[in-house]
Amino acid sequence: MSRLVKLSARNFQEEVLESDVPVLVEFSASWCLPSRQQEPVLQQIAREFDGKLKVADLNVDRNPAPASRYRVMGCPTFVVFQAGEEVVRRTGAQSRARLLEMVQAVVNVD
Amino acid sequence: MHNAACTCWNCPAIDLTGKVDFRACGQSKEVFAQGQEGQGEGYIVAECKRRPELGLYDPMSVTFEECPEWKRTPFGYLLDNMRVMILGIDGYLGWTLALWLAALGCEVSGVDNFARRGWVSERGAHSVVPIRGMTERLHAAKEVLGLGINFRRIDVLNERPKLREFMDEMKPEVIVHYGECPSAPYSMIDLDHATYVQQNNVLGTLGVLFMMRDSVPESSLVKLGTMGEYGAPLTGRPLFEGMFPADAVLQWDNREWSMGGELTPRDPVSFYHVSKVQDTFNIYEACKYWWLRSYDVMQGVIYGVHTDQVAADPRLRTRLDMDEWFGTVINRFVSQAVAGFPLTLYGSGEQIRGFIALEDAMQCMTRLITQPPEPGQYDVVNQMSGFYSVRQLAETVARIASTEFSLPVLIQRVENPRVESDIHPYEPIFSKLPDRFGFQPRVPLEDEVYRMLELLTQPHIRQRINEKRHLILPRTWWSGLKKQVETLEIIEEIKYEPTRKAFRP
Repeated sequence: MSRLVKLSARNFQEEVLESDVPVLVEFSASWCLPSRQQEPVLQQIAREFDGKLKVADLNVDRNPAPASRYRVMGCPTFVVFQAGEEVVRRTGAQSRARLLEMVQAVVNVD
Repeated sequence: MHNAACTCWNCPAIDLTGKVDFRACGQSKEVFAQGQEGQGEGYIVAECKRRPELGLYDPMSVTFEECPEWKRTPFGYLLDNMRVMILGIDGYLGWTLALWLAALGCEVSGVDNFARRGWVSERGAHSVVPIRGMTERLHAAKEVLGLGINFRRIDVLNERPKLREFMDEMKPEVIVHYGECPSAPYSMIDLDHATYVQQNNVLGTLGVLFMMRDSVPESSLVKLGTMGEYGAPLTGRPLFEGMFPADAVLQWDNREWSMGGELTPRDPVSFYHVSKVQDTFNIYEACKYWWLRSYDVMQGVIYGVHTDQVAADPRLRTRLDMDEWFGTVINRFVSQAVAGFPLTLYGSGEQIRGFIALEDAMQCMTRLITQPPEPGQYDVVNQMSGFYSVRQLAETVARIASTEFSLPVLIQRVENPRVESDIHPYEPIFSKLPDRFGFQPRVPLEDEVYRMLELLTQPHIRQRINEKRHLILPRTWWSGLKKQVETLEIIEEIKYEPTRKAFRP
């Protein structure tokens, strides 16, 4: 059962900006090999922080509006949102440890 | 059904031209989004070439399960009368797949220049299973199975305008590329052969990529590569499916980087394998530049004779080679067993490779076709159902031949004409096809070896094997040496232990 939330231009407001918990968003693309390899690691993090953090994925080709609004300039781009605001961002494939560093800004990682 | 949730995003019938800006992030400022709920705030729209009555719609709103054009088959939803073009349709795999897909309801077209027949006869060999000319094959397909196949004689490398014209005419929704020279030893004979193989394979495929860009950009390319592209690294590093996973990290200087999505190192083991690696890079680039879609299939060593279609009539049989250049190892061992020739292990015989039976390979190809890649997606699958040492295979063939067919079989070790490690670790990853495409191997090694022995012991085939027994021992050395290999040892005592190490779901 997938714990990754599939984002689109339609549900971005509700799932990300109005979310009760912080959200780690991956801006990915069909053609982007690094972003296609992230899924297992993201699933793992989603499981570990269940209830404390939401992990979500947005395909930039299918949803150009949010991608351009947040000035996504490369794939994959990871952005952590808290209370509708961007907290931290990184571009390029991320290992589990590097993602945990990002998430640390908003949840307790120990 | 593994592909029930796929949407028009995956479907070759979608028309995205001018509607999606694939390099929206960072490389282009133009935004094509035409949301139905406000300017530039919504989602993308597309048109369907098969169902123009839908007009402009959200391509993610229709799944294969819901679309009337996608029909249920045992291998997933399949596009109704899907137009498939097979390059190399006269070969061992090409002919088998043509009948297989036509039987599933695909509209099959194909091209071939009959080069494979030429290479084999150039070496003085022949297919031990007799095969018919294309005209008779097509006639028998119609007569026996009621299947029509649209064939045209075209050389993929040297007759590009003809291929382009055929593509424009057929508008294939998927192109299966089997049209390459598949032999490592053939490429190692001399400079002329190495040049030929690399030109034919690399430049032939490069032409196909340009033609797809211009003629059928929404169709996908299912391209045959080989597990031999990876080699067998002595570190024992797993052979991932083309790319590193995101949790593979590079550590250096107290820092770490994810290797996720980077192509893994390739270590090809002959000039033929180098041509396949070059193909991999060319296809990868084409997908990147033109958002073509492709599955690069790293197939294990293929073996076997059976599908229901090729077995339906002697005129429909696909070829089977036993010579050192075009015979794959299990096919060679079975032929050697029938000829009463001690099975030839090269060097120690401890080389480990991945294998797949003909029928299972057809299932894999079908499943890949039923779940086309997304726009711009280049992906790699390792297509095999188990891995064995060559010695285990020889013992399996010897055991079945002697116990079931009363053939006295010995095994010999001969000099290894190749430059390779005889003894090495091997950890292939091959879970993508079972996990994402629903592939379930159906053909146990022993069953297929039994079926091969049944066919090859028929008197007229046994005679054809015996006629070419002088071609069994290899004489093509990677070093350039020209001599037949010497026997190092005849293994008298064979322990028939169960050694199978196959895929378990």
